[in-house]
Amino acid sequence: MKLEIRNVTKRFKDKMAVNQFSMELETGQCVGLIGPNGAGKSTLIKIIADILNADEGEVVLDGKRISKMKREIGYLPQFPNFFQWMTARENLLFMGQLSGISKKRLIEDIPTILTKVGLTGEQNRKVRTFSGGMKQRLGIAQALLHKPALIVMDEPVSALDPIGRREVLNLIQEIKKETTILLSTHILSDAEEICERFVIIKNGTKIEDTTMTELISRNHEPVVYVKITPKDHFWTQLVSQLPYVKKTEVIGSKVKITMDNIEVHKNLLIQHALNNDVDIVHFEVSGNDTLEEIFLNLVVSA
Amino acid sequence: MNSFYILMNKEYFQMIRDFKIIWLPIVFIFLGMTQPVLTYYLPTILGALGGGQGITIDPTMVQQEGGQVLATTLGSQFDQLGILIIVISMMGMIQADKASGMLAFILTRPVTVWSYIAGKVISNFLLVIVSVTSGYFVSYLYVNYLFTDVPISHMLSALLIYLIWVLFMISFTLMISTIFNGQGVIALIGIVFLIICRMITGIHPIIDLINPAGMSQHAMSLLFTGSVDSSIYVSLFITFLWVLFTLLVSHLWISQKKFQQD
Ligand SMILES: Nc1ncnc2c1ncn2[C@@H]1O[C@H](COP(=O)(O)OP(=O)(O)OP(=O)(O)O)[C@@H](O)[C@H]1O
Ligand SMILES: [Mg+2]
Repeated sequence: MKLEIRNVTKRFKDKMAVNQFSMELETGQCVGLIGPNGAGKSTLIKIIADILNADEGEVVLDGKRISKMKREIGYLPQFPNFFQWMTARENLLFMGQLSGISKKRLIEDIPTILTKVGLTGEQNRKVRTFSGGMKQRLGIAQALLHKPALIVMDEPVSALDPIGRREVLNLIQEIKKETTILLSTHILSDAEEICERFVIIKNGTKIEDTTMTELISRNHEPVVYVKITPKDHFWTQLVSQLPYVKKTEVIGSKVKITMDNIEVHKNLLIQHALNNDVDIVHFEVSGNDTLEEIFLNLVVSA
Repeated sequence: MNSFYILMNKEYFQMIRDFKIIWLPIVFIFLGMTQPVLTYYLPTILGALGGGQGITIDPTMVQQEGGQVLATTLGSQFDQLGILIIVISMMGMIQADKASGMLAFILTRPVTVWSYIAGKVISNFLLVIVSVTSGYFVSYLYVNYLFTDVPISHMLSALLIYLIWVLFMISFTLMISTIFNGQGVIALIGIVFLIICRMITGIHPIIDLINPAGMSQHAMSLLFTGSVDSSIYVSLFITFLWVLFTLLVSHLWISQKKFQQD
């Protein structure tokens, strides 16, 4: 299986939702599509699911246009919808049969799959009575039902409570062993947990296509965190004037200081603080930025 | 073909769930009864109200032909309240699926737009056929009982001709339901357009020829006079073209994903 997204562009009136986006995805991979609200994740995923047409570019699965390969795709919308008046089981029967699976097979498979997504015993309840999280699970069941080669999930866990989130993340870990997954999220730690590879999208443009380890090592730049009392905040100003300091940033009661040649200069910094009679509460030389910070840096700066 | 069958089954399933399969025929049965019963008893009722003096009812006027009464069932009941009921009961056909996102969701499965549309049109047409036919048969029974007998062959052929016009009503409502998003707008456009079509029949032969409501006119004149005008074949052909046109527009609209754009 190979998914190729080639120069996909999508505009809504004059709003550029996806801009010249390209990427490839191979069998067994799990890719997290990450971006802030309004980045164009859902739009891109809808183009992959053939719900929207791209204005330019194309999406190709195993060399064939995606519209001819729907059987091979399982799609979980950001807000899954079903026929409200049908039960969970009836909805799965309907969608499964449309995917080309025989009724007989489905009758056997549906209880198993509902157990897998944590909806045991709910199969004869009307979807109208389901909570958002339950619909999300039913959506996942629907996406898995026909055993597709590629599963595309739009924010599979964002709408869930912490317990549900944990369960669904574990479930995706399971699914991952059998299929190729592309999922979108705006929560980096979710993606980090299930995917090796990340594609970061901002304002419709791909700004990063990388792996977790690479991302962390690239951003491995030791920094100094100094915690000072509020009365000494004037010192931050002075520090930013120092020749060897590249950047200062106040995070709560801490000051994060990026500087050249940290081994040599960190003691100078302490000296400077002492000279200014600064009350140091905590001093720390720390490694890389947290993932959230890396993400914010990428998304805000690029 | 297979997905068409699944989609159509789902429609029937839904009709059963919300009892449409029961109430729509019942409504038409009432409509069918109304015309012969009213026509028969109206003079008596008027007489009773008039207190027996003043208005004298000409017995030859009361003595209507059965065919006439049956024709008026089509023209005055089915083509007025009937249109209203058909449009209102069908207006959500596509609109509801668009609003709930189910249309987009269904189309992520290997389903052709044609099988989706065909599932909708055929299932709904069959339901309306059953409803209209039941109403019409009831009307026919009353007519034969209260007025003169209508030959079965006339009755049946008029029904077949009338159902072509009904098919157009459904395909037109389907198209409006595909293009517009508000139920109110859909109902308004559907009802107004179809009633106007019906009202302009008989104004000019050329208009009648291209007007799908001309089929209703043909059905009525068959019941009145016992024969059909030869222009019916052209009319029939053109009506089928209109049906095809509405279906093509709906197909285009859905396959171009125009329903996704707000
Ligand atoms: N149907 C539409 N019509 C007009 N603009 C749209 C439409 N759908 C999306 N957009 C715009 O395209 C941009 C991308 O939207 P999209 O839903 O893809 O973002 P997203 O990354 O999924 O965001 P979120 O994290 O909030 O789900 C947004 O600016 C949005 O306003
Ligand atoms: Mg989204």
